[in-house]
Amino acid sequence: MKIFKKEDKMSSLVSANSNLLPVINRFGIQLGFKEKTIQDICKEKEVNPDFFLAIVNTYTDENYFPEEELLSFSPLLLIDYLKNTHNYYIGYALPKIERLLENIMANCGENYPSLKMISSFYQKYKTELLLHLKHEDEKEFPYIVELYKTRKLRPGQKSITEYENEHTDVEEKLSDLKNLLIKYVEPGYNHNDMNEFLQALFQFEKDLYDHARIEDAILIKQVSMLENELKPNEVR
Amino acid sequence: MEENVFIIHPSEIIRKGLAWILQEYFKMEITQLSAISDVNSFAAISNNLIITIIQKGASLPAETEERLRKNNQLFVVSLSASTDKEGLVEGYDYDLNVLASNLEIQKLIQVIRKSASKSKPIMADNGDLTQREKDVIRQIALGLSNKEMADKLNISIHTVISHRKNITEKLNIKSISGLTVYAIMNNLLDISDINPEELI
Ligand SMILES: [Fe+2]
Ligand SMILES: [Fe+2]
Repeated sequence: MKIFKKEDKMSSLVSANSNLLPVINRFGIQLGFKEKTIQDICKEKEVNPDFFLAIVNTYTDENYFPEEELLSFSPLLLIDYLKNTHNYYIGYALPKIERLLENIMANCGENYPSLKMISSFYQKYKTELLLHLKHEDEKEFPYIVELYKTRKLRPGQKSITEYENEHTDVEEKLSDLKNLLIKYVEPGYNHNDMNEFLQALFQFEKDLYDHARIEDAILIKQVSMLENELKPNEVR
Repeated sequence: MEENVFIIHPSEIIRKGLAWILQEYFKMEITQLSAISDVNSFAAISNNLIITIIQKGASLPAETEERLRKNNQLFVVSLSASTDKEGLVEGYDYDLNVLASNLEIQKLIQVIRKSASKSKPIMADNGDLTQREKDVIRQIALGLSNKEMADKLNISIHTVISHRKNITEKLNIKSISGLTVYAIMNNLLDISDINPEELI
């Protein structure tokens, strides 16, 4: 596995791992790279190249996690990126998964309790995930933005860890859904539809996993550090 | 257990050459790094077999090495230059010489794998569910609490909890609604026994 550097061509990044396309789109970067390097394109699009590389490499190699580098960026940069990711999930990834599931349901027999259960399980999962994203977009992120702007803790203010504990683990049901399909589904469905659905789940799980890793190990860590710094001021 | 191999060396010739040999013979996934500090970004790996091959005389950053050792089976192999005949020195688990033959490299990897597998924990058996575990899943799907299940099945709450733990381990399904779907898909329950709209 190769860790990407600034001097590498942007095209080599996508050739090595096409799953990175939606990731780089979130930075406003699109196909048609010509011979330009990562550095060139980041400059053009006014993207911080170190931040870009930290994110891209995190997605490329699941063992890679540049804690030190990522901790040096402003959380506001990180929040912009995370919000873009949420919009991608809500506006594209989930609707796509749903379309694929509808295909399966439309092409299987009427009397198929297994798939009916899978379908309601998916709805359950989706509701839970949307709540999670909403909680972050509407409560957690605004709190962080304000904290960095005012550099003050309001009395009685919830801490970032308290916010975190309020929302559920979004990976559990998704992994259950995959396992149920892989291990227990009975014949009677259309293979191609099912494979596409399962592949979309795998890809979504991977994306969500890296997303959560960035939130937990970087954003939460950074905000907790700031909260601790600010605490004595509040007492005075 | 997954295997991670790192070749950390400033020389591109050495990195690529050694990576090529290892890939060819062992189909290993290899991460090549030119600077030792790059390994810091991999400090969070856990439960893997990690082999790092580094230039003799160099050592991994102390904090990262400690973290990797704690959470993994870590082996540090020193790569020495041809004229160096002193063999294994303190701080490394194995020694490799740039003049080593393919056969010697293969042997070294086999030795490392063997020593890793010796201390590998035994995996829990992935057998089918017992009758009792099936009873418990049925009750979970019907929405009973641990206490209610214990009363109904005439077992202690402690036993219920331990059944639940075994079920989750065997099936790799963690959520209650996931277990309910499992029960329907495996005919432990009929879909008419539950309300699919009300999956927890
Ligand atoms: Fe999020
Ligand atoms: Fe999250």
